[in-house]
Amino acid sequence: MSGRARARARGMALSPSAAEVGRVQASPLPLSVALSDSEASSSSDHVGTSRISQKCEGGLSSGDAGCTFKERVGKIRREMMDLSVCTREKLAHVRDCKRGSSGIPVKLVTNLFNLDLPQDWQLYQYHVTYSPDIESRRLRIALLYSHTELSNKAKAFDGVILFLSQKLDEKVVELSSETRRGETVKMTVTLTRELPASSPVCMQVFSIIFKKILKKLSMYQIGRNFYKPSEPVEIPQHKLSLWPGFAISVSHFESKLLFGADVSYKILRNETVLEFMTDLRHKTGMSCFTQTCEKQLIGLIVITRYNNKTYRIDDIDWSVKPTHTFQKRDGTEITYVDYYKQQYDITLSDLNQPVLVSLLKSKRNDDAEVRMAHLIPELCFLTGLPGEARSDFRLMKAVAEETRLSPLGRQQRLARLADDIQRNKDARFELETWGLHFGCQMSVTGRVVPSENIIIQDHICQPVSAADWSKDMRTCKILSAQSLNKWLVICSNRAERVTESFLNCLRRVGRPIGFNVNHPKIIKVQENPAAFLHAIQKYVDPEVQLVMCILPSNQNSYYDSIKKYLLSDCPVPSQCVLAQTLNKQGMLMSIATKIALQMTCKLGGELWAVEIPLKSLMVVGIDVCKDAFNQGMVVVGFVASINPRITRWFSRCMLQRTTADVADCLKVFMTGALNRWYTHNQGLPGRIIVYRDGVGDGQLRTLIEYEVPQLLSSVTEASSNTSPKLSVIVVRKRCMPRFLMETGRTLQNPPLGTIVDSGATRPEWYDFYLISRVACRGTLNPTYYNVIYDDNGLKPDHMQRLTFKLCHLYYNWPGLISVPAPCQYAHKLTFLVAQSTHKEPSLELANSLFYL
Amino acid sequence: MEKPRPLRHTWKGAAHEKIPELRRRGLPVAHVADAIPYCSADWALLREEEKKKYAEMAREWRAAQGKNSGPSEKQKPVSTPLRSPGMLVPKQNVSPLDMSGLSLKSDQAVLGGIFYFLNIFSHGELPPHCEQRFLPCEIGCVKYSLQEGIMADFHSFINPGEIPRGFRFHCQAASDSSHKIPISNFESGHDQAMVLQNLYRFIHPNPGNWPPVYCKSDDRARVNWCLKHMEKSSEIRQDLELLTVEDLVVGIYQQKFLKEPSKTWVRSFLDVAMWDYSSNTRCKWHEENDIVLCALAVCKKIAYCISNSLATLFGIQLTEAHVPLQDYEASNSVTPKMVVLDAGRYQLRVQSPGFSHFSSSNQEQRSNTPTGDSPSGVKTSGQNSSVRGRGITRLLESISNSSSNIHKFCNCETSLSPYMSQKDGSKSFSSLS
Repeated sequence: MSGRARARARGMALSPSAAEVGRVQASPLPLSVALSDSEASSSSDHVGTSRISQKCEGGLSSGDAGCTFKERVGKIRREMMDLSVCTREKLAHVRDCKRGSSGIPVKLVTNLFNLDLPQDWQLYQYHVTYSPDIESRRLRIALLYSHTELSNKAKAFDGVILFLSQKLDEKVVELSSETRRGETVKMTVTLTRELPASSPVCMQVFSIIFKKILKKLSMYQIGRNFYKPSEPVEIPQHKLSLWPGFAISVSHFESKLLFGADVSYKILRNETVLEFMTDLRHKTGMSCFTQTCEKQLIGLIVITRYNNKTYRIDDIDWSVKPTHTFQKRDGTEITYVDYYKQQYDITLSDLNQPVLVSLLKSKRNDDAEVRMAHLIPELCFLTGLPGEARSDFRLMKAVAEETRLSPLGRQQRLARLADDIQRNKDARFELETWGLHFGCQMSVTGRVVPSENIIIQDHICQPVSAADWSKDMRTCKILSAQSLNKWLVICSNRAERVTESFLNCLRRVGRPIGFNVNHPKIIKVQENPAAFLHAIQKYVDPEVQLVMCILPSNQNSYYDSIKKYLLSDCPVPSQCVLAQTLNKQGMLMSIATKIALQMTCKLGGELWAVEIPLKSLMVVGIDVCKDAFNQGMVVVGFVASINPRITRWFSRCMLQRTTADVADCLKVFMTGALNRWYTHNQGLPGRIIVYRDGVGDGQLRTLIEYEVPQLLSSVTEASSNTSPKLSVIVVRKRCMPRFLMETGRTLQNPPLGTIVDSGATRPEWYDFYLISRVACRGTLNPTYYNVIYDDNGLKPDHMQRLTFKLCHLYYNWPGLISVPAPCQYAHKLTFLVAQSTHKEPSLELANSLFYL
Repeated sequence: MEKPRPLRHTWKGAAHEKIPELRRRGLPVAHVADAIPYCSADWALLREEEKKKYAEMAREWRAAQGKNSGPSEKQKPVSTPLRSPGMLVPKQNVSPLDMSGLSLKSDQAVLGGIFYFLNIFSHGELPPHCEQRFLPCEIGCVKYSLQEGIMADFHSFINPGEIPRGFRFHCQAASDSSHKIPISNFESGHDQAMVLQNLYRFIHPNPGNWPPVYCKSDDRARVNWCLKHMEKSSEIRQDLELLTVEDLVVGIYQQKFLKEPSKTWVRSFLDVAMWDYSSNTRCKWHEENDIVLCALAVCKKIAYCISNSLATLFGIQLTEAHVPLQDYEASNSVTPKMVVLDAGRYQLRVQSPGFSHFSSSNQEQRSNTPTGDSPSGVKTSGQNSSVRGRGITRLLESISNSSSNIHKFCNCETSLSPYMSQKDGSKSFSSLS
């Protein structure tokens, strides 16, 4: 965004209309986004058809179309809000150049396409008022569009705000139209803003334009993405079909406007709900049919093919039949049968089927009433994969074969989409009237940074593959390990034999890596969670270093109750192993090695290190995760390194009651980590680099205004003279760009350590992409890093290299991972608490990686 | 640094000294009160002479304040119950003798006072715009006093009534993630009016004042709503006042220590997992289906927590009505369901030079925390015991040991360290945790 637009944005924030917006989310921009296509058909059509409410016959008429316009304007696409946050301008050392230098250049193809605009292109925003005032959005649109002055112009209109690519002759234009009833309506079209192509508002208008274009390519929007039902991929043996489609976005990257597309699939079952019910009735018989039916269907997502909308089945109304009537919006009564005949020319075959009930999400915030839709089972198709299908290996493989595209396959898909857009007459016309030109696919130059050496106790090893160095590690001594002298093993009677052989194995693999395992006390108990818990309560005393539980099944109650007790009530590191896992005799050695390494970490050991040239550097990972049971709770995890070698960690976790994924307790955590550092190193760290994961769309500003100050205040309070320098980096595993490497005629995933810091980055941010993972199948997703605060002033090259180094330090996996290790640790910790314990772990465990 | 204030108790002195270290550990410690929960564990680990040092400090404080210090026996710290529930520290310092010295007249009122703990479960919570916010499905209530423990309990399933159209999924999901009571076709559900009548008969059988009824603060809104809702369907009108357990705990604590505990401490005090699977805690249905969340169990566990930590402060000997002792007594002698083996018998050809069996140690020795960060006051030196050999020998020894003093519920201590000193006569249940 240019400085001018920013200034304007700030100015607008003070206007009264912006106050409405600010209420939704702290955004400085009064973006008007809820524009529909000019025809305004898709959404309102849907209201008329399926949103049939039992409760509010009259109220229904004010469904979508009647939404007051103020509310529509208040709707903002969240990711767009982030774009108005300019962090780079405050970072002096990267204002001119944020590119690194080390590594071997590599040419990469992206999934981004150039969108060319004339140099002086501008978007004109108009405000339209009607006299007398008209409620119906459809009527408003029809009246305005009937004017010749507008008919051949490129336009987008939501009933209040009109966007044009060409300026009208006058600033205020008065128009008048006549309704069918003969009323004359005056319309005043007033120019309110002129927007440059880089403005976030334009991005949203571009998205709307592409929505129209994809529709012309016979693609339908489901959720956020666009799918093509006409070219399904069938998997008949599993009664599945996949709709190919794309996730798209239009955005302003470094210097250009780019259109991004990523392949996506919608999984559908070739089975209607009615067929499913009939099938079930044959299987279960009549007696408990309704119950089983409710049990199996409720909660599933269905799609109605007549309008390609998805719904969740919230209830089944057995008392309503298709021959019953309901009240339409205009007050007339009609039967479901007639309605579907008239509206969609669909004849219902089964007149005795019940109706499915789906609660509709209220678009308004006031939640004044419950709105429900009645759906006919015959017309609803099940989507997604049911739970049992996910564990069906063959089914999942069949799906993966289709959906996991190779780099080349992906490229072919994209090329075809680009081709379709360029060839389709309507699509091209739409683009041309707006003055857009769909260009070629963009290439960028990335750099492959040198691979890292792994430091183990007695030597430095250069792993054969940075993705997995477990083989290189097998006989190497790890950095440090406490010997395990007093520990408990709790197992069921049945698992005694496997436990014995496993313990032998554990001792055998432990010795070469430097982890001494003594004989445990083995407690045999009955196979139920209570017996396990009792045994733990009875035999754990303060001298026990670790408790190992050989669980008879992966039923949650075992794991959850053991972890909850040993994490909070009686803090002792614990290791749970499934008996089933130990039955795999052939793999026992590698299983034992992995568990031995995990146990070492849980006892506070260190496995390996990488060379970090920066002395006195503390790295921190923060992740936020929603509690699985309690909706209003989020779990915040904080993991900080406490030695200069970055091998020992201080981990804390807290539950907080909030709806936003923003952390409150960072000051306490940071102060705690600094104190811990102080006791270990007799001084404060010189630099602190914080990696923040788990940031949702639109939260960037909150992060800068709320979380960074917390960290800063604790850092500045830590020392009176020279306080540590702080940097904060937002880590995102999901991002639009993908990078593919051209090798000869084919395409490959880029090699490990590929960094992209140009072309696909944003001008207003200090950001880069890093590939720190390998994929044996499918296409890699790069990880996106955005430095939002940086006192350290490290060269971009050093920042990138450091981030890459940190991806090597996750002790649960002997290889590179997709995010820096502290982030993954924080994630693992929050996941454990959010899923299993729902309680803060005891502080006594904070010095070890007890959650691995 | 805040201005040091007069310290009345010796352990306060210890806590005061601890504050800087706790702050360094990243704890939100502002006052001595905040520090106590963290320090009390450490306090219990202190040796007698170290404690004397703090007692000395406290005396000096009081002398400086011009107050009579009194005999030092009276000042014996009563700190152990404040530690986090999981710490395995036998209470060496609390003996009935001390308690008698401390007990005040009003203690008797607290001890004899009868409280009711009540909880009602719902099939989820419906959004605010719905008329019906909750669907009561299970109720549990216990009658409790510090002196007697749980005196009676009441439990019933409730027929939640018709599920509002469209919310079946919501309710099902809420039930599945918590108490797992079926949302429909559940035969055990009783009529709401009847359940309420029975509840009131349970709480208030005779005319006169209503006894205090408590529930956890998080549940209060739900329980209140459900009571009102059930009153509507029956003709009964009783304005039952629902108080929060947290306030009750604070009250009892204040009674004993004349000061307020921190909120965090109270919360963690009530939220423990150790009784989750205790016998005779859950209702029959939840027990049979092995589901932890049960309305009756929630109430009983409140009683257990209060008994285990607070009742012992008043010198009450815990009975089966206070905490589920039977689970632990039964396993005092080794039952067939739990067999303990010393894995030394699996010992193979390989023997590392540093190998040794676990050292059984004296009771006063506390091991290092596994991470190597030893809190101050922890003794790590320990003489290695000469216990060797097959597990069965030690097993027998431990049995003979533990059967010799049944009233000491320190099973883990006895069985793990057969040569433990026998001086501990504590009636507390804490060492089980």
